[in-house]
Amino acid sequence: MFYEIIILSIALLVFIIIVYPTVWVFIASFKSNETLFSNEHSDYTLSNYIELLESGFGLYIINSFYICLVSVVITIFISVIAAYIFSRKKFKFKIFYFGSIMLGQTFPWIILVTPMFILFAKLGFLNNHISMIFCYVSVSLPFAIYLLVGYLESIPRELDEAALIDGCPQFQIIWKIIFPIMIPGIVVTATYSFLLMWSEYLFALAFLTKTNLKTMPLELYAFFGEHTTQWGQVMAASALTTIPTLLLFLPLQKFISEGLTTGAVKN
Amino acid sequence: MKDNKFIFYLLAPTFFFIICFYIYPTIYNFYNSFTDLNLFRLREGGSWVGFKNYIDLFFDPEFKRVLFNTTIWLTIVGVFVRIVLGILLAFLINSNTLKKYKLTNLFQLSLMIPWATPSIVAVVVWRMILDPQVGVINQFLLEWGILTESIAFLADTSYVWPSIITIITWNTLPLVTLTFLASLKSVPTDLLDAASVDGANKLQRAWHIILPHMMPSIIIMVLMSTFWTFNNFVFVWLATGAGPGTYTNVMATEVYLRAFIDGKMGYSSALGIVMASIMTVFGIIYLRLIIKRNLREIF
Repeated sequence: MFYEIIILSIALLVFIIIVYPTVWVFIASFKSNETLFSNEHSDYTLSNYIELLESGFGLYIINSFYICLVSVVITIFISVIAAYIFSRKKFKFKIFYFGSIMLGQTFPWIILVTPMFILFAKLGFLNNHISMIFCYVSVSLPFAIYLLVGYLESIPRELDEAALIDGCPQFQIIWKIIFPIMIPGIVVTATYSFLLMWSEYLFALAFLTKTNLKTMPLELYAFFGEHTTQWGQVMAASALTTIPTLLLFLPLQKFISEGLTTGAVKN
Repeated sequence: MKDNKFIFYLLAPTFFFIICFYIYPTIYNFYNSFTDLNLFRLREGGSWVGFKNYIDLFFDPEFKRVLFNTTIWLTIVGVFVRIVLGILLAFLINSNTLKKYKLTNLFQLSLMIPWATPSIVAVVVWRMILDPQVGVINQFLLEWGILTESIAFLADTSYVWPSIITIITWNTLPLVTLTFLASLKSVPTDLLDAASVDGANKLQRAWHIILPHMMPSIIIMVLMSTFWTFNNFVFVWLATGAGPGTYTNVMATEVYLRAFIDGKMGYSSALGIVMASIMTVFGIIYLRLIIKRNLREIF
């Protein structure tokens, strides 16, 4: 009994540390600036959100959604095809090709900034959402292919090999057989990629300087730097940045935990 | 023959991105690291200086600080804290007590919250929590009389590294914990039962059976956490801006500062190449591991 009380109190403490910061963001976003840090009493209000949206924050939400959703769709499309090839086909130097993609996972992004900046400047892609989409697809491809190859390996080969023997064109096999079976793996990969892109800051900082093109993380931090005293609005902006990923992660919890951990657990 | 063409066309989009985004910039950086290219004289280009940048790097005291911060603080301490806390938290979530009160699922769900919180938001909210004026930690410590004056956690050299590591750990612990939890659940129960029959206590079972079983996932998580932190720019840059002064300067922020503040792009490229080389070594270890363990069938 005594042992149980100790375990439960540790668990409670850990639970508070885990959830407190994000929960606090949401609570604080509804408090007026005057009473935000007061313990005695709080005024709850929507004014933080209203002022934030009036100042034009809605545009950054749209920018972020547009860039991330387009990038996720392209990533998934390309990586499903690549995963099919790596999982089902035999060809020369396969391990070399696969390895060179996987090393992308371990690559320091910071050293890509200068060369990409110069390349985009030459092509006229600076301050253009195409350059952001290009970067986001590139950074999420290696891990997406890794996850999807792992997922395909858990699907019996007989399924698509039978169709191949029947003379079914390969594009149709990918589209009609592989794609539908892979939906659970695709959902996990898409969610993970979305989070990666949604919170990306470095490339957005380097390649987007025009205010009307900026993404949410960029604007959130700029806003934070300029208005450190307006915690209420900063918290409202933080809450708006967190809601989409939270809405993706909470319902998909079982999917995501299983999908992302099996690769590291399988023996 | 027809198949080879098919494979080529289907892999072409992937390699378009890999070549443009990873291989071309690396070659470009490699070339620049032997020149004195300057941001403010980009049009003139750089002239060849041989190994000068690498030699300068070697004798630069700032590089020693950066190397120390990146390897010791960010990587060794940061990864160690995450792995140990991840294992302990996995044991806690999987404990019989939590199962008895049906709290296991609630805990697993709660781990989604820090995970889904974008790192930028994590930094912003933790900067508020750690703030000397309005931060809840200072308020708490002052109220309980533990402190007599508030601490500026992110500006004080004795607290700044533990604070940064707290932020990173909070934001990235969930994946580590959930991986360990999955590994913990896959321990064969008959093995544990046999050990209890032989009189092994809880600690002995954890040490001699459970931990060795978890070892492969621990190794993978050590490697993955190393990539995430060693390369990470955002946490340090947003939490402290490499300050106070350059006290928390790490490789990623140094590459940025040298290139975009000092304008020394050649020097910054040399630094980047050193960074990429270190990571490639780890990357190859990781690659061998995932291929040997998970993907052997495909080769």
